[in-house]
Amino acid sequence: MAENKQSACVTCQPAGLCGGKGLLTLKDGAWRNNPLAIQVLGICSALAVTSRLENSLVMGAALIFVCVGSNLIVSLLRKRTPHRIRMIAEVAIIATFVIFFDQFLKAFYWDMSKQLGPYVGLIITNCIVMGRAEAFALQNPPIVSMVDGLANGIGYAVVLAIIGFFRELLGTGEIFGHQVLSSQWYTPNQLMILAPGAFFALGIVIGIFNALKGPEPQEKK
Amino acid sequence: MKGSAYTLIYAAALGTVCALVLTFAASFTAPYQQANREAEEAKNILVALNVPIPEKTPAKELLILRDEKVQEIKRGEVTTYVYSPGGANAKPEAVAIRFAGRGLWAPIKGYLAMDPGLTKIRGITFYEQEETPGLGGEIVKDWFRQTFIDLAIRGADGKPGIIIGTGEDAPNRVDGISGATMTCNKVQQMLNEAIKSIVKEK
Repeated sequence: MAENKQSACVTCQPAGLCGGKGLLTLKDGAWRNNPLAIQVLGICSALAVTSRLENSLVMGAALIFVCVGSNLIVSLLRKRTPHRIRMIAEVAIIATFVIFFDQFLKAFYWDMSKQLGPYVGLIITNCIVMGRAEAFALQNPPIVSMVDGLANGIGYAVVLAIIGFFRELLGTGEIFGHQVLSSQWYTPNQLMILAPGAFFALGIVIGIFNALKGPEPQEKK
Repeated sequence: MKGSAYTLIYAAALGTVCALVLTFAASFTAPYQQANREAEEAKNILVALNVPIPEKTPAKELLILRDEKVQEIKRGEVTTYVYSPGGANAKPEAVAIRFAGRGLWAPIKGYLAMDPGLTKIRGITFYEQEETPGLGGEIVKDWFRQTFIDLAIRGADGKPGIIIGTGEDAPNRVDGISGATMTCNKVQQMLNEAIKSIVKEK
């Protein structure tokens, strides 16, 4: 672990931006501590919007935007925010970013906004965003907090894209609405479009992520 | 430790800034959102009346198509939307009315299209609703809306009105949605009000 940290510092320090923690933070958020597959946070939206790949990608983009933005602002204000109202301040900042994104979708991507329905607004209550603000941005400088937001957003978006890809492929035989699996030999499995399909897909993804990551290092007694 | 006054000022300042940002975003996107909503409404009239729409018609052309094909005609106090494919003086093919009412969470609005003689339903669309996704939200889906096609708007006793939900087989009854009884009851109520208002004006 110590070695790992050092090498990360060496690669990142020339950039001089992240206080030497950038790469490690990125790797931690997107892979080692992936919010969906390892921490299993925020799965409500992950299950709800992944019936199509396109929806999953837009939702992933929304979370990246919100996570990066809210982490930045929370981190910039971290020394001025009174401790007692920090959580409410975080929620206000997060809500601002989410509503901003929602308005943007409604104005320029109407159909997508209709398909995602209430789930964009529900990012406000997504535990990933709040969790990163509370656990990371409050203790760290702005740039590295943004990296952390980006990493966790990517971690969420990638898992969503994987689930969305397989649900759309197996559920309808299409990708991005284009027929991929010929209906002559593939019968779309409706189950994958429905809620249980999302659970199965997420379960398998979590299993694979954990298998690839290997067991947690044992703590020395 | 920072004092209460500081906390209050901080909260007020943060709240103000957030509100300003959102006000700016809302007023900047308002015209685009309004245009989207109008196109959505136009599309819903056309779909309810069963007017053929070319695939992937841009929003602006939907409005033009509606103005071309659909005439607004006042019938007493009710505004009807009449579709006559052969031109304004030809025999109309369908008549639509707007209906609205309280849903489970938020207002439900939509269009109900009937044949010109007001005996059967030709189509139904909902252009505004916030029912529970997967339950009441299913009212917008094709499978549910299609059950209304050719449904009689009068019961066997001749009284205007339809039934959504369980009951004896009747020409004016469709199945409801399991798990969305409240939504179905509310939709039934607002449709019946609309049907009564138009039958009265005939």
